[in-house]
Amino acid sequence: MRVFSFHLMPYPALPPDYDGPAWVTVPNRLYDPAVGHEIYNRYLDELVYAEELGFDGVCVNEHHQNAYGIMPSPNLMASILARQTTRLKIAVVGNALPLYDPPTRVAEEFAMIDNISGGRLIAGFVVGGGPEYYSFSINPAHARERFAEAHDIVMKAWTEDGPWEFIGKHYRLRFGNTWPKPMQKPHPEVWIPGAGSLETLEFVARHRYAYMGIPYFHIDVFERQFRLFREACEREGYSYDPLQAGWLTPIYVAETDAEARAQYEEHWWYFVRRLLPGIEITPPGYTSVRSVENILKGLGTFASRLTSWEQVVEGQYAIVGSPDTVYERLVENIGRLGTGNLLGLFQLGTLPAELTRRNLDVFAAEVLPRLRQRFPEGAKVLAA
Amino acid sequence: MSATRVTTHVGDIELRRLGLGSDVVYLHSAVGEGEGLLLLDELARTFEVYAPVFPGYGESAGIEQIDDMEDVAFHLLDLFDRLHLEQPAVVGNSLGAWMAAELSVRYPDRVGALVLVNPVGLHIEGAPIKDIFGRKLDELAGDFFADDSHPMAQMMTMMTDAQPGSLPFDLVRPLVQTMAATARLAWDPYLHNPKLQKRLWRITAPTLVVRGAQDTLVPPAHAAAYVDAIADARLCEVDDAAHLLALEKPAELAALVRDFASAA
Repeated sequence: MRVFSFHLMPYPALPPDYDGPAWVTVPNRLYDPAVGHEIYNRYLDELVYAEELGFDGVCVNEHHQNAYGIMPSPNLMASILARQTTRLKIAVVGNALPLYDPPTRVAEEFAMIDNISGGRLIAGFVVGGGPEYYSFSINPAHARERFAEAHDIVMKAWTEDGPWEFIGKHYRLRFGNTWPKPMQKPHPEVWIPGAGSLETLEFVARHRYAYMGIPYFHIDVFERQFRLFREACEREGYSYDPLQAGWLTPIYVAETDAEARAQYEEHWWYFVRRLLPGIEITPPGYTSVRSVENILKGLGTFASRLTSWEQVVEGQYAIVGSPDTVYERLVENIGRLGTGNLLGLFQLGTLPAELTRRNLDVFAAEVLPRLRQRFPEGAKVLAA
Repeated sequence: MSATRVTTHVGDIELRRLGLGSDVVYLHSAVGEGEGLLLLDELARTFEVYAPVFPGYGESAGIEQIDDMEDVAFHLLDLFDRLHLEQPAVVGNSLGAWMAAELSVRYPDRVGALVLVNPVGLHIEGAPIKDIFGRKLDELAGDFFADDSHPMAQMMTMMTDAQPGSLPFDLVRPLVQTMAATARLAWDPYLHNPKLQKRLWRITAPTLVVRGAQDTLVPPAHAAAYVDAIADARLCEVDDAAHLLALEKPAELAALVRDFASAA
């Protein structure tokens, strides 16, 4: 089992009287660069701290035109982390390939991070969220085609000697010859996040990459997604490795269950009620009709529909409590999902610096060692 | 009405064919109307009506081979050839009107008369077409229909308030599918072809541009621009009708087509 600290870098200062979406059209007059200066640096510190605490790695991701996560360029963050850490894996989960034209840009920047960090990059590729197709005016009906072509280009850039030619429908490169190349051979480990698109699950299984379940659904939805993923691997003729699966979940630990909830709950609701609205918009053509059916099955349980803390606990939307509670819930869910990577969100919404740090400290001291003992590296994690 | 399948170069498509008389082709809007569309029966009283379902809509295959209006025009040309439609009158609503214009600028001789109902297809600075891809269905229904008691308007409003996953997927599927097909054709550039306006002079068919007086989706400047750029064109406004005029005013539209095509 590997344990990562994931940061969304949320914007914590939406005015109380703003009740619109946090995505696409959230007015950028609400953005305060003074807040940005403070939180970018603070959030980076929180990620760097994971090295001292014994995590296996850190994760950053890419989103545009939103208050949910102000990282339009996760590669900038990852390059800073490459310099400020020495041991951690740096997972960029991921670059939204269809938004990079030409996609060799991703091959170049990821290779730079891998070189600077001495081979510590985990390369994430994403199709891009629904909102991004509005923000970039890129045709969602081309999302999968562009993603597939861009993926092939990045892999070609990393694994084939140039110059090479790529003539596709969406991208044409006559003199591909990417400098630099990644340190890790044949290429960095690849992670693909997904929210239940069957096309994505099948793509990951086919390439033997790792699938990261995007959070904010009822735990039953994840269980189904990871089962579909394991089945997709079986159809490809192999049994999945637990390290091919990752569960991303908000985590908050304090001395007692009551204290944890008291400290955490308001920040959770800021996240759910202020930062999630608008994230679920799915542009037409973005996934196949059969995938829409699959996604709709889960969407009824999406976190933005929650109204009570009891629902949060019941659906395991966030793992909150004393060290014992958090440990037990994590073990139970990891066993249900069969995921060999745990991606914890230790800061969420408006959770302030002091509480985030304490959360990380208590988790690292009292939960992490027990998890490592319970799930030694290479162990089977799926409960029978 | 007989629904048949026609083999085209991109795939098999659905075709409704009814009535006797001179040829009229009806090209549907982005909602893929056809089945049960009263306009077709009204037109069939005087015309031989051909109503193809475009690839990606209904049960018509081949959308994956169509990326833009260039492909659309060639698909329509292929279809006309296969159906031996030499010079039919072509009627289209919204997206269908845009497609009719794209065919007409390339093959003016293949269109005997042109009826463009609330056409999209142009970009007019200062007169944007409202968004259809990101807004709630009840808002769209307000732009599509002047009368919110129209069954489709009612259905759209009902679907707006439904929890995701609570509706039977068979009810949702047609909408998911038609919106996906429309996005493929018209997401970017949004509901227009930058090259169309400067090609409109090539249209030689007598052209009637019909505008729903309550069409709040497409500003009036769009119908006016078509009328200005096409040599033999005139404008007709229909009251109590919004964007999906073909669904809302079938008898009135059929009468307009009848009068116009017989004079043409």
